[in-house]
Amino acid sequence: MSAPVNRTVMWLTFRQLFVPRRLVMALLLAVLPALVAALYHAHPNRNGISADVFLDGMYARFVVGVLLPLAAVLFGTGAFGLDLDEGTLVYLLVKPLRRWQVVLSRYLVAVTATALLMVPAILLPWLIMGTGTTTFSSVLSVAAGAGVGCILYSAIFIPLGIASKRALVFGLLYIVVLEEVMSNQIEGAKSLSVREYVLSVIHAIRGGAPTLVPHVSMSTVWVMGTIIFVGGLALAIRKLSAFEAAERL
Amino acid sequence: MSAPATPVAAHPATTPALDSKAGDRIGDAGSGGPRVTLASASRWYGNVVAVNDISCSITPGITALLGPNGAGKSTLLHMMAGLLSPSAGSVEIDGIAAFGHPGIYRTVGLVPEREAVHAMLTGREFVRMNARLQELSNADEATDKAIAAVGLDEAQHRRVGTYSKGMRQRIKVAAALVHEPRVLLLDEPFNGMDPGQRMQMAALLRRLAADGRVVLISSHILEELGDLAANVLVMVDGRLAASGDFREIRRLMTDRPHSFTVRSSDDRRLGATLLAEPTVYSIELADGELRVRTMDRGAFTRSLPRLARDANIRLHELRPTDESLESVFSYLVAR
Repeated sequence: MSAPVNRTVMWLTFRQLFVPRRLVMALLLAVLPALVAALYHAHPNRNGISADVFLDGMYARFVVGVLLPLAAVLFGTGAFGLDLDEGTLVYLLVKPLRRWQVVLSRYLVAVTATALLMVPAILLPWLIMGTGTTTFSSVLSVAAGAGVGCILYSAIFIPLGIASKRALVFGLLYIVVLEEVMSNQIEGAKSLSVREYVLSVIHAIRGGAPTLVPHVSMSTVWVMGTIIFVGGLALAIRKLSAFEAAERL
Repeated sequence: MSAPATPVAAHPATTPALDSKAGDRIGDAGSGGPRVTLASASRWYGNVVAVNDISCSITPGITALLGPNGAGKSTLLHMMAGLLSPSAGSVEIDGIAAFGHPGIYRTVGLVPEREAVHAMLTGREFVRMNARLQELSNADEATDKAIAAVGLDEAQHRRVGTYSKGMRQRIKVAAALVHEPRVLLLDEPFNGMDPGQRMQMAALLRRLAADGRVVLISSHILEELGDLAANVLVMVDGRLAASGDFREIRRLMTDRPHSFTVRSSDDRRLGATLLAEPTVYSIELADGELRVRTMDRGAFTRSLPRLARDANIRLHELRPTDESLESVFSYLVAR
């Protein structure tokens, strides 16, 4: 029908992404920042770093820098990758569904799953550290930035998951090579890094935070973000529509 | 998506050619039922031609798609199921191009060859998911009916991952017929089934065909279809090698020359004796073996022990040498 997403496709995708084994892994990732915060809290002298500086640093380097892309690549490439690995995609393709509906449904699930993992990852450390000087609204700004990250990362990893059986490897390479190595070495590469967009969004919402200095302007974020979002989904829909699957099914 | 193409307008050149091939019209000629129509359908991957210029029309009833492994059966089936676009020609379901029109899946059900199903779901969840994806208003009722049809009521709440091979085949069939499609395509459905399950499945397929559906079954084992299919399409090397009545094809296969290798205490004398038999039309002595070709394998295998005993020759071994399906098919193609 003409509904943009199909609830049954979403249900299936959630079931696939959260089989018990993967659910445990996701929970571990989600509480990892809380464990780090607890360690800091228990440390007697804290190396002279104040709680809010530590929290901001962890948000920027660990939560946004590592956990967010990691969760997004797992769920984004898994949304189609699991079906392609198993050879079960055929059951979705021989149904009276438009292929764009399948793409949008799975995209929405990938975004939601990544966001669900980010909620405890952002909220728990703040609660453990004690509200201190970091206000709830600044934690919300981190959450908003991470939300933008979920939307953009998934728009990259969903088409990757359709295009390649090694999507997870390519996705991890993308994170390490482009976001980690290149954007630290080459200034221009930062304007291609979703992580930098996330930091810019957080910075813009907070109205300036000393420890989260962004490298790209909000106008770059808007332009590049739109290109990634629209381009990624269009590519995914095109890939799936042209998907011919004798062997890979 | 673009509007469905009208077959006649879209393929003016191929339609008359199709009609002239009356012999390739498979199944009951009755009108009004569902119909799968192929007109000069071809499919190639780079330089490899998987399906080569096949024209036929499949109408209600059970049709068997036979051929050795690698003959292009799955490619043809996937084209009919709209999963592959034809490189040339057309494949249509009730006049609508199969590829790129998801609407056809209200008419078509596919049982894929691969065993894979969503292992984390229970059998019931899997079938119900297929019902929901078909946007059936009575998904639960349809699920009950489909599961009962394949006889998996008791196992329906177990995870599919725990199913045996035969049970997976059956749950796949249940998922494919949950929306009561008028065209059911089954890719090697008997794989992994024991004889009892096979008979049960055959009975189910007969019932479905009797309701006026197109039921197309692919197989590389002629005998497994038994007398299930009235109509046969034989594929060899991507081409339609033979098509028509199952009994006729079977007769052709049985009446072909059969080769046997015989080892005995005196091959030379046995050969001379056999040559006098009307059913034997050639013998050859080579490599310490006697090779015999006969047109009537039944008469030959019955008379051989008697002849040997009368001539006081001891038989050591009798071995058919060309019983592989490939040789049967290549004989059919060579005709």
